[in-house]
Amino acid sequence: MLAIYKKELRSYFNSMIGYVFMAFFLLIIGVYYFFNNLMYHLANFEYTLSLISFIFILLIPLLTMRLMAEENKQKTDQLLYTAPVTATAIVAGKFLAVLTILSMVMGITCFYPLILSRYGDVQLSSAYAGIGAFLLLGAAYLSMGLFISSLTDSQVVAAVISFVVFLFTVLMDGIAGMFSSDNKTAVIVFSVILVLICIMLYKMMHNLTVAIGVGVVCEAVLLTLFFTNPTLFDGSVRKVFSWLSVNTRYDNFTIGVFDLSAIVYYISFTVLFNFLTVQVIKKKRWS
Amino acid sequence: MVEVKNLSKRYGDHLAVDNLSFTVDKGQILGFLGPNGAGKSTTMNIITGYISATEGSVKINGVDIFDEPEEVKKMIGYLPEFPPLYPDMTVKEYLYFVADLKKVEKKKRKQMIADIMEATKITPMADRLIKHLSKGYKQRVGLAQAIMGYPELIILDEPTVGLDPKQIIEMRELIKDLSKNHTVILSSHIMQEVSAVCDTVMIIDKGKLIISDKPENLSTRLGATGGLRLSVKGDKKVIFEALKSVSRINKIVRHAYVNPGVVELTVYCNENEDIREEVFYALVKANTPILEMQSLRMSLEDIFLKVTSSSKHSSLQEADGNDAEESVEKEVSSNAGDI
Repeated sequence: MLAIYKKELRSYFNSMIGYVFMAFFLLIIGVYYFFNNLMYHLANFEYTLSLISFIFILLIPLLTMRLMAEENKQKTDQLLYTAPVTATAIVAGKFLAVLTILSMVMGITCFYPLILSRYGDVQLSSAYAGIGAFLLLGAAYLSMGLFISSLTDSQVVAAVISFVVFLFTVLMDGIAGMFSSDNKTAVIVFSVILVLICIMLYKMMHNLTVAIGVGVVCEAVLLTLFFTNPTLFDGSVRKVFSWLSVNTRYDNFTIGVFDLSAIVYYISFTVLFNFLTVQVIKKKRWS
Repeated sequence: MVEVKNLSKRYGDHLAVDNLSFTVDKGQILGFLGPNGAGKSTTMNIITGYISATEGSVKINGVDIFDEPEEVKKMIGYLPEFPPLYPDMTVKEYLYFVADLKKVEKKKRKQMIADIMEATKITPMADRLIKHLSKGYKQRVGLAQAIMGYPELIILDEPTVGLDPKQIIEMRELIKDLSKNHTVILSSHIMQEVSAVCDTVMIIDKGKLIISDKPENLSTRLGATGGLRLSVKGDKKVIFEALKSVSRINKIVRHAYVNPGVVELTVYCNENEDIREEVFYALVKANTPILEMQSLRMSLEDIFLKVTSSSKHSSLQEADGNDAEESVEKEVSSNAGDI
């Protein structure tokens, strides 16, 4: 794992990507910090961070696009998968490498609240909790980017798909609000999602019976639930969509609340996607 | 050392490897021979644990690759068809990374990398970026990667592709050197390479094992075609008349002229019969001197073509039997065309 970690980290700083990422990220944070905190005398650095969570959409794909896609393309995956390391170690090494780069950026921003505290009363604990949560938010995006990168052997495809998916998670909150909260809409929306999942299943497994079987069984469960207990579905679309809304979990931190559920959410999200990446690598062997 | 049993790999409806079984002893060099798409790379990928088999088992030193992949991967060095190189690293960086990846002890690392670079003759390239190297050097860096950690089993997929003739000879010598301390499996579609290096040759086609033997046995086993190639000075009619007196000759094929007054021909007899003396005396009697006489023997190349081009080579017996006659005739007539 350490070998892959070191290799990845070195490759970011051998090429320009590592520097570009850090420079651009720090520039944006710096600009927002300057205007919000220094010019307009706002004491909350965590609030400034919440304003710039959108740059993850742009910058994380830059960092994660090459992680697995490039290995697949250069056929160096053959070296990794035939070396005495587990798939988990490979994914962990790669994930920790990108996480380290993000941590470097967040590490530098740790000075910002300190600078503010020289000019007045700043609640440092909530500022640092905000920085920590922001790092975890980034980690969630990184794990998703790593997962998407493992699905393809083209960096560009990985970057574009990551970008679209990230954009979707940000817009998710707004989209969820547009659905009416009655239970019939919910059943229809879930059925559509089910169909999409079945199509994806078919694409991945090339097995029509399994895909249709899963679809029919799940739809049957869905309808039985609907007819036996329709109130279960009230407002459920919003609930489900907001599960996927990664960004809104940060909101509590901006008002100085240490939201443990958000921390748990981010960590489980990250673990889940890293787990999925490991599965993609393992599946490759069996295809 | 290596034990492969009933290995099959299926991609949808396509059977890439079909019930392949073989064993390799310690210190041996096994050569896979086969046309492109015969399943050589697939088999190697399965042995190294890169892909899984649909059926069958691979055991290395008694350990199954499916049960304990990490344990087995420690014993294997693999050079795939495309050397797995990172273009943005220097050769040295790359080899350090590989040593790290293969868990070579820190103390030994420096010495081992220096030794391997020396053995594969890439020391002068140590500080160059891999993307700037020629194909031949890339191949050697790939080989260096495979030897790293001195695994017991080294698997090389077409190791000499892209090398110039001098490098090919060097590569062969290197592989022979390696076999002193390692077991080697290599694949190739080039005959001389396999016959020059390997202890055992396995010819596979369409995922099936067609024949497996020592290279020298292969040519005696399949190469005995029973016949002579002759250049005789004299008149065509006289020579044919004289040869007809040799009763054991089954067939005479005349080739195109090279020199006026010299007849080039091939005579066939039953396999394992020696008609050289009879032919000699018959032609002496006719007063037509023999300029050249040569027993027909197939080269590995011919054997390879023979066994892979016949459509119904489900077993060795068939290839040995009826098909042989047919292919030999084809081979001879194509030779005639050349002359």
